[in-house]
Amino acid sequence: MAATKRSKPPPPLTPAGTDPKVLRRAHFLMRLSRAWDSRFEAMARVGRIGRWYSAVGNECTTVGTALALGANDAISTVHRDLGAVLTTYLDATRLAPALFPAGDATEWDALRPPPQSLLDTLASQVFGRRGGFTRGVDRSFHYGLVKPDWGIRHVGMISHLGSMIPVASGLALANLQDGNDRAVLGFIGEGATSQGDFHEALNLAGVMKLPLILVVENNRYAFSTPLAEQYACEKLSDRAPGYGIAGETVDGLDFDAVHAAMTRAVARARSGEGATLLECMLPRMRGHAEGDGSYELIPPAEREEYLKQDPLARFEAALLARGQADAARIKEVTEVTKAIIEDAVERALLTEEPELAEATRPVFAPGEVATAFARQSTEVTGG
Amino acid sequence: MAETTYIDAIRRALGEEMERDANVFLMGQDIAAFGGAFRASKGLFEKYGRLRVINTPLMESGAIGAALGAALVGKRPVLEMQFADFVSCGFNQIVNNVAKTYYRWEAPVPMVIRLPFGGGAGAGPFHSQSPEAWFAHTPGLCVVAPSTPRDALGMLKAAVRDPNPVIYLEHRFLYRREKEDLGEGDLLTPLGRAHVVREGKQVTVLSWSWTLHESLAAAEELAKEGVSVEVVDLRTLSPLDEETIFTSVRKTGKVLIVHEATITAGFGAELAARVADQCFEHLDGPVRRVAYADRPSPYNKKLEQSLLPGRERITAALRKLARY
Repeated sequence: MAATKRSKPPPPLTPAGTDPKVLRRAHFLMRLSRAWDSRFEAMARVGRIGRWYSAVGNECTTVGTALALGANDAISTVHRDLGAVLTTYLDATRLAPALFPAGDATEWDALRPPPQSLLDTLASQVFGRRGGFTRGVDRSFHYGLVKPDWGIRHVGMISHLGSMIPVASGLALANLQDGNDRAVLGFIGEGATSQGDFHEALNLAGVMKLPLILVVENNRYAFSTPLAEQYACEKLSDRAPGYGIAGETVDGLDFDAVHAAMTRAVARARSGEGATLLECMLPRMRGHAEGDGSYELIPPAEREEYLKQDPLARFEAALLARGQADAARIKEVTEVTKAIIEDAVERALLTEEPELAEATRPVFAPGEVATAFARQSTEVTGG
Repeated sequence: MAETTYIDAIRRALGEEMERDANVFLMGQDIAAFGGAFRASKGLFEKYGRLRVINTPLMESGAIGAALGAALVGKRPVLEMQFADFVSCGFNQIVNNVAKTYYRWEAPVPMVIRLPFGGGAGAGPFHSQSPEAWFAHTPGLCVVAPSTPRDALGMLKAAVRDPNPVIYLEHRFLYRREKEDLGEGDLLTPLGRAHVVREGKQVTVLSWSWTLHESLAAAEELAKEGVSVEVVDLRTLSPLDEETIFTSVRKTGKVLIVHEATITAGFGAELAARVADQCFEHLDGPVRRVAYADRPSPYNKKLEQSLLPGRERITAALRKLARY
């Protein structure tokens, strides 16, 4: 069922058709993402972290799409894509062995590093500590992790959000040049679809038939700007035919629909049929950043409606209704994920601040140029 | 042995590097069968095909962003901006995405962005600019501007091999005017090294690209008048070879900075500041600049010529400085 920006949200759908292994992993990763957000939202409320961009409400879309990828497919993420990051990085079966039967581990899991270490690095990254991916020089999800040996190719964001779409197209271009069948999953909000880079990248993707899937997480408000002030088409996927690529709009709260649409898009990418613009309609369950006042601008009745659409609650209700999990299992997953995140956060908080020398670390990779840069006498501040 | 022009040297560099490393590829507008607006890639499409000589739609930002994505997974893209002036459409990708990546998460970005630049052709405000200072101001970018066919060849090859983003400024006026016998072999010019092109004792000229040639002509004129001028071709603007510059200025005690870009906040201002800071005790005169007036480049050739910092203006400035 296609959802439009003007239609009412559809009734809860059930993830009936999906493989039990996928459902188990999806549930765990969505809960892990939610536990992370709950913890960081709490810290943001009491001022223990400066800013937090919550992914609450996006989990079904980020996990549902990323779970359709394989080793060394690439992802490009922005603010609210923690679910996709966790899905790509973590061997869930090693992180919580008690929750998964032996057959749940995948071939990709065998390549992945110990999940706890990546989770700890991610937590340190968010706190700007020494142990983070950027060792304190850039914030939260502003980094990448490209480790082909681990099957992980992840490029994170800069703050100019639309700028990441061409980068995702370039990751796809490299696949085309290498003649492999790998896909690239890029995420973007509906706000960034108004930027020129959206057009340039999707036009290139159409012309070159790039193996790119651009997921638009349409949560109806860009900072404070509502859809009606952002674009005038009915659905953002309506733009796809204009680029000669496939387009689809799905209910981003319906795991089955998201996963199925993504699976179709990945098949198109792998078979050389080209790119897909996949719009996932989401409820605005949080503000732009926690405590920045943007959430309060949304009319209260609308806010309440969004909060009722919680994708995790719907996913779990569907699991129960279909007999794919019982209440005890859901409780266990909720508690285990909460404990995992609590531990990771506590460990990260005990880590040290970065060394001051990180501020003046090289801007060039080792080589002739880096050597020349190091020779400059006044390269830091002069005098 | 036939002489190689500046543009042929660029084509040779592209061909040799593509042959050497299968990860090197070209991207730009009209660069495939057409060979590019200045034919820099002529013949390469036929040899390497559409996935290594990529004709893009009319785009700058999207192409630079795509090149960054490809570079992050092991490719070595060489982009051609059709005219340097158009790079402004891709400015954000260069200064925020490409330039900051290595500092942020230590992923090397091997990428070359070729900018055919400069005036002298009566091409007007949007086909004549010298944008080096836009990029020299941004940490994380190497900015080079070769003035000879030999350096055009050697620096482009070195730029392709370096694991960092290089802004490569190639002067359109030099394309078919400068030629020299380059011989065979794998010729490389080190990045980050200036070159003392003409030795002298009384005044140092710091310049690059087209104005370097005009400065050499002016130095020749001054020699006839008994003034010994040293001319330094900076070649790489960032990172700067301070050692060569300061050694020359400390020897002569006087310095004239010559560039084609507009004067205010031009790269010459940075050079003047560093020379004043580091060579103060050795200076016997003011640090002077000859550059373009703070105006867009006018279309009419006579109007344009009146603003270009050519040999007459440089000669006059050198005479005054020598007398100081």
